[in-house]
Amino acid sequence: MKIAVLQFPGTNCEFETLVAVKAVGMDGEIFRWNRPAGELSGFDGFVIPGGFSYQDRLRAGVIASKEPVMSALKEEAGKGKPIIGICNGFQILVETGLLPGSANHNGVGSEKSCGNVEMALAQNVMISQGKIVRRGYYCDWVNLRHEAPSKRCSGSFAIERGALLKIPIAHGEGNLVTTTPGLIKKLNDEGQVVFRYCDKNGRIINEFPFNVNGSTESIAAICNEQGNVLGMMPHPERAFFAWQLPAFDPRKQRTDEPGPGRRVFESMKRYIEVNA
Amino acid sequence: MSMNQKINLRVWLKIPDAEAATVKNTLIRRMGYGNVLADVKKERLFSIEVDSGDPAELAKSFAKELVNENKESHIVLIDELQFEEGYVPVKVALHIEDGEAISIRERLRSRLGFENVADVKKATVWKLYFDTLKPEAQMAAREIAEKLLINPHKDSYEIMS
Repeated sequence: MKIAVLQFPGTNCEFETLVAVKAVGMDGEIFRWNRPAGELSGFDGFVIPGGFSYQDRLRAGVIASKEPVMSALKEEAGKGKPIIGICNGFQILVETGLLPGSANHNGVGSEKSCGNVEMALAQNVMISQGKIVRRGYYCDWVNLRHEAPSKRCSGSFAIERGALLKIPIAHGEGNLVTTTPGLIKKLNDEGQVVFRYCDKNGRIINEFPFNVNGSTESIAAICNEQGNVLGMMPHPERAFFAWQLPAFDPRKQRTDEPGPGRRVFESMKRYIEVNA
Repeated sequence: MSMNQKINLRVWLKIPDAEAATVKNTLIRRMGYGNVLADVKKERLFSIEVDSGDPAELAKSFAKELVNENKESHIVLIDELQFEEGYVPVKVALHIEDGEAISIRERLRSRLGFENVADVKKATVWKLYFDTLKPEAQMAAREIAEKLLINPHKDSYEIMS
């Protein structure tokens, strides 16, 4: 079971992501963007880690989305292989059209599969009591509620619906917006909303500080229709071990325990085992 | 009838613009525009609406706040927005709320005391230089805007020539 952790110029979470991949028992390696793209077919799954690919020039994720490696990744997605995009990885998947991916399932390699961009991850706008209280880059620990049924999505395959995870975010552009009519309803109806930001009890409160970036309906992560491609703004690799948790979390002292982010990588492994 | 005047500040880097270079590189090497596209340059555009005062004097004050003269040049255009011949200017702006423009407006009004500032809009102008004739160039510019320069869920664009 071999995972490619994609590295673009400006990616900065590839090494800890690879640690997480290997710690759950998968094999993996860092795959540089300028390697022959066809070599991707030798892998069983893919992670696009966080960072600032191409320094977020033009807008986050768009320059990386035009690289040949992303065309090859679309083909691998079409085979049902799991892909997890974390933070900048999510932004790249959106700009590629792989997420939410409604326009992509009519034939990999066709003109249509080149991807209609159906949404944007826009600049953060933090709203509280109807007023904008903050804008721009923000990093913090957030609570996430798992919204999809278990087994719906590769990156949350082994997570039960309603589970709460505490995972950090760190981004300036995570505000999910769309002008595609009916897209949000479709994502809700078809179980493609995977995580939402919530309070510590799991309540969805659609304003700052619970909704940390102004994202529509507090959406933090979505998957494609088939469920094999997941994009999430929070960083599970930064909450993989209990010792990575913040000082105020009592689990930090239980160094033998896994962190909540581990469940995302365990899910990916389980998804591959089941679908092999 | 509104008597507001619009001060347009066109601002560009004197040093090489890495973002413009990346866009040019992507268009030529990744998106197949190598046979028509000669160069890409970029400007920031601030459009500041004022309801009183001498716009030429105000423009000098605004430029001090918004332009870093160590690395940037600028020109001021009052109640007009013109671009030179030789390239296709594509203006890209957010159609969702622009937090940076609001911040600039509030900074000018509340912190710096320019209470005559009625509105601030911000955009990026991509200057696309083509090797083709104007009709083809304009068509290519539209295509480039839609395929790369904007995400239609948050940005809109306008060809300014």
